[in-house]
Amino acid sequence: MRISVSNENKPILIASLFIVVILLAGTVYTLSTAGTAPLLSPKYLLQQLQTGSFLGICAAGMMMVILLGHIDLSIPWTLTAAAMTATAVGGEMALPTALAVGIAVGMLNGFGVAFLRIPSMIFTLGVDTVLRGLMVAQTGGFAPQDTATPLMLFLAKDRLLGIPVALFVWAAVSVFIIVMLTRTGFGRSIYATGSREGAAYLSGIRTRFVTMGAFVVSGLCASIAGVLLAGYSAKAYQGMGNAFLLPAIAAVVLGGTHILGGRGRYIGTLIGVILIVLLNSVLSIMQMPEAGRQIIYGTVIIAMLLVYGRNQRVTS
Amino acid sequence: MTDAIVEYRGISKYFAGIRALENVDFACKPGTVHAILGENGAGKSTLIKIMSGVLQPDSGEMRLEGKPVAFATPQAANEAGIVCMFQELSLVPDLSVADNISISSPPRRFGLIDRRAQVRRAEELLARVRCEDVDPNAMVRELSLSRRQMVEIAKALGKSPKVLILDEATSALTARDVGTVYDLLAELKDSGVASLFISHRMHEVEALCDTLSVFRNGQHIETFAKGAKSEREIVQLMIGRDVEAQFPPKPKPVAPEDLGDPLLKVRGLSWQNRLNGIDLTVHRGEIVGLGGLDGQGQKELLLALFGVLRDVEGEVVIGGKKGIPSSPAAAKTATTKVALVPEDRKTEGLMLGMPIADNLLASSFQRISRGPFIDPALSRQAIEDGISRLQIKAGSASDPVMTLSGGNQQKVVIAKWLMIDPDIVLLNDPTRGIDVGTKQEIYRLMRDLANQGKAILFYSSDYAELIGCCDRVSVLYSGRIVAEKQGDDITEESLVAASLNIDVEAA
Repeated sequence: MRISVSNENKPILIASLFIVVILLAGTVYTLSTAGTAPLLSPKYLLQQLQTGSFLGICAAGMMMVILLGHIDLSIPWTLTAAAMTATAVGGEMALPTALAVGIAVGMLNGFGVAFLRIPSMIFTLGVDTVLRGLMVAQTGGFAPQDTATPLMLFLAKDRLLGIPVALFVWAAVSVFIIVMLTRTGFGRSIYATGSREGAAYLSGIRTRFVTMGAFVVSGLCASIAGVLLAGYSAKAYQGMGNAFLLPAIAAVVLGGTHILGGRGRYIGTLIGVILIVLLNSVLSIMQMPEAGRQIIYGTVIIAMLLVYGRNQRVTS
Repeated sequence: MTDAIVEYRGISKYFAGIRALENVDFACKPGTVHAILGENGAGKSTLIKIMSGVLQPDSGEMRLEGKPVAFATPQAANEAGIVCMFQELSLVPDLSVADNISISSPPRRFGLIDRRAQVRRAEELLARVRCEDVDPNAMVRELSLSRRQMVEIAKALGKSPKVLILDEATSALTARDVGTVYDLLAELKDSGVASLFISHRMHEVEALCDTLSVFRNGQHIETFAKGAKSEREIVQLMIGRDVEAQFPPKPKPVAPEDLGDPLLKVRGLSWQNRLNGIDLTVHRGEIVGLGGLDGQGQKELLLALFGVLRDVEGEVVIGGKKGIPSSPAAAKTATTKVALVPEDRKTEGLMLGMPIADNLLASSFQRISRGPFIDPALSRQAIEDGISRLQIKAGSASDPVMTLSGGNQQKVVIAKWLMIDPDIVLLNDPTRGIDVGTKQEIYRLMRDLANQGKAILFYSSDYAELIGCCDRVSVLYSGRIVAEKQGDDITEESLVAASLNIDVEAA
């Protein structure tokens, strides 16, 4: 390698550059059509990040699971279930109930994957479907009439010092994840288990509890995102989590986390989330029709992963 | 010079600026068995990877039968007649033996793979390596390591090589299969094939090869005919310094009544039908060897004691406490701590893609944490201690462990376990495929650990190691201990006889 950028940091660098490219391209477009540059205004960026924080929190949890070489496909309905139970319970218990739902789903996922040895792709998909059935049964298929509690509204919509509170929540989740991954035995065990489960087990790491823990973190993150999203929309509704699954996986992978586990930095996931949020927002500013947006969005993800793949050819 | 089948001039190869090979001239004649000797990291692996098209040299030229060549891929090298059997087994476990043998160019009929022809071909090739007992339709994962390696050799033969490279081809073989490989190499030699033989077992090199080349630090030191130098001189060339006795001196045997209570006591240990009632004791300060042919239950015994196997029957007492640990995690945290250096360091011992530092710490997160958080100072100290204690040659602790040579990788595995200060150390063939210098360091380390009062249970496929290192040797046959040798009774003859379950004295 000519430039000394480690393989782990290369995707992060490329994704960061691409964010700059997106911002510049969007600004050139708005300057030439309307003569303004809204993309570069702090107000607009903060607003984008506020809506991006829901995705960011989902992606943080998803990253734990992907680092193990597993995947959590139950995020959409874990998020919805947490939001719906929170609004249904209401009052002071709304938030703890939502988090409890996330933890419970995570434990169920972890148990199925780590102890029953069912492939995570199948098991979490099944859990997702079951949760969806439960929610439809509970609400009769309609949007529930319950509304978000004041605390949920505050967390999702209010601002502190001019910065959306949701960003503080996202930041807190991020600090928690970073400290966990880099500074705790549990975090290092996640990397070890994802890198080679057999060797980790024979090193005396309790790999099944590590797997369980990662799924619990993922469920917890999904439930936090659910609480915020319900607060942002002032209520919970069927299918509110559907738009988060694939972007969350994409953000993690675009941020350089190896889809087969063992490698990846959290800062990459953050950048991956920002990239996806800005790409979406620039495409909508350009008034690109939905069909075109999806084509460009998918192409960008594939193209970037191709670029990473070329760079990651290690001599071994 | 023109009679060489392959000839290399001025070959150099660098990895990230670090010299792997420098200005190497090397030639090999047809109809010879040519040994390449050197410690791990001497450049042998790089040389054969260049020969077989896996790597491209940074400079230098290659000639095959006098014509300049360059191989972009291993396939190109294969087609030109240079076939390599790599140290890392390259068989696909979930395909059949026949599929694996013909994997690169299966016989076809109407464009589809002709299974019957493929099986026939596999049978012929297996017959050449005298492995008629291997079913071509069996899955490779069902075969023992030794049989797999023989299939690998059959696969290499199937490519009709002019130059056959055997990289550590005998490291996992049983005595019988080693004999087969000897015969085969003699056969190939008569038919004008040049074989390049890489092995860390000196007696094999002595028995097989007619020309020897020694490499050290990426340079070709010397090539000479067999017999031109003594074993001692060869070892000196390899490591570039003088060597004292290969094995550290053993302490005087202690009378059984003075040994005290055993630290590890096993009675009637059984598991499925692989272990059939093992009785064994190991005291503090003792190195007990496990002998026998490959696959007689040695690996299972060690795994059972480490808490890996389920439904193990029999009685185990570890440090006065009854019961088998329920998992490796329990084994390492019990009052009498147990550590296992597993058989395959690449898949069981190490997370290859992860940094050396993470691998070293993988068993010790609790020890370096204060509360829930890892203490950076403690972890740095632990890493430094581990690296210096075993003299691991590494550029930086943040490099992936796969950048290390085999011997240094094994040292990382051992250092990882020494960090928890175990009382009982289980070693599963820890010197397989590593260089002479590192082997000696491991022997010394084992004796040091025993002298510190640790109990060591040591399986080795190399009789010389068992004889040189162990205070006692238990020989396994078909999941049972058929003989226990002590002191001067540990001889090659007695171990071989016991391995085959024959009684020499009675015969």
